[in-house]
Amino acid sequence: MRNSSPIPGANLLSDTRNYAWHRPPDIVDYDEAVSYLISKVDDPFQSQMVMAMLDIDAQISTIVSTLLLQAVSTGKMPIDLALLTAGPLARYIEITAKDLGKSYDMGIRNKDEIIITPTLLKQALGIIEQEEDEGEVEEEQVEAPEAPTGGLMGIPDEMIAPVDEQMEMLGGSDIEEEEPEDEL
Amino acid sequence: MQFQDAVKLSIEKFLDGKMPNKLAELADDGVLYHTPDYFDALEEELLGEPTKKDKEKKDAK
Repeated sequence: MRNSSPIPGANLLSDTRNYAWHRPPDIVDYDEAVSYLISKVDDPFQSQMVMAMLDIDAQISTIVSTLLLQAVSTGKMPIDLALLTAGPLARYIEITAKDLGKSYDMGIRNKDEIIITPTLLKQALGIIEQEEDEGEVEEEQVEAPEAPTGGLMGIPDEMIAPVDEQMEMLGGSDIEEEEPEDEL
Repeated sequence: MQFQDAVKLSIEKFLDGKMPNKLAELADDGVLYHTPDYFDALEEELLGEPTKKDKEKKDAK
């Protein structure tokens, strides 16, 4: 998987001038972009295409994203400007569909629609309250374990070893300091 | 976020009457032509029916 990824900096070596979206776009003004897209929708061929898509119950948001991707891929406008013009274009297609008496679906979320999340579902079923109650009961039952006494793992009565034992562990008095010998 | 989701979000905001604050500053004369109000007026002119905003105004009165 990792070997199939591009080498860092490969984009700086490749010739990307053939891609339309890598060159400066033709349209950079908002109103000009909306006018261009409206003229595209009003174009006889494109208009037939849009109406045909509406007839097969395609959502307006899908039609809009298709038209915008077409505009971006041909280098007409940058992708951020395309996103800004999505609203006006969708509104224009909506008005056209109304004018022609076509049924349409905008394809966006209804504001009144309630999004069902796991937390909301738990609240509706009363699971959250039960879980909280059970948690409280468990906390009450927990008791501190008794410290082991005696044996190897038991806590010693005196934590500090006597001086003799410490000296013995450290090597004690058996070690004699070596005195440097005079070299002749 | 995928392009389709971004398009949907953009449409939602526009239908709510919201536009980026700094967008008008980019226009040559500082005024935008294709606003939500423009499309409401266009709808009223073409279809001859009051828009949602007009209905809300009437209900408020």
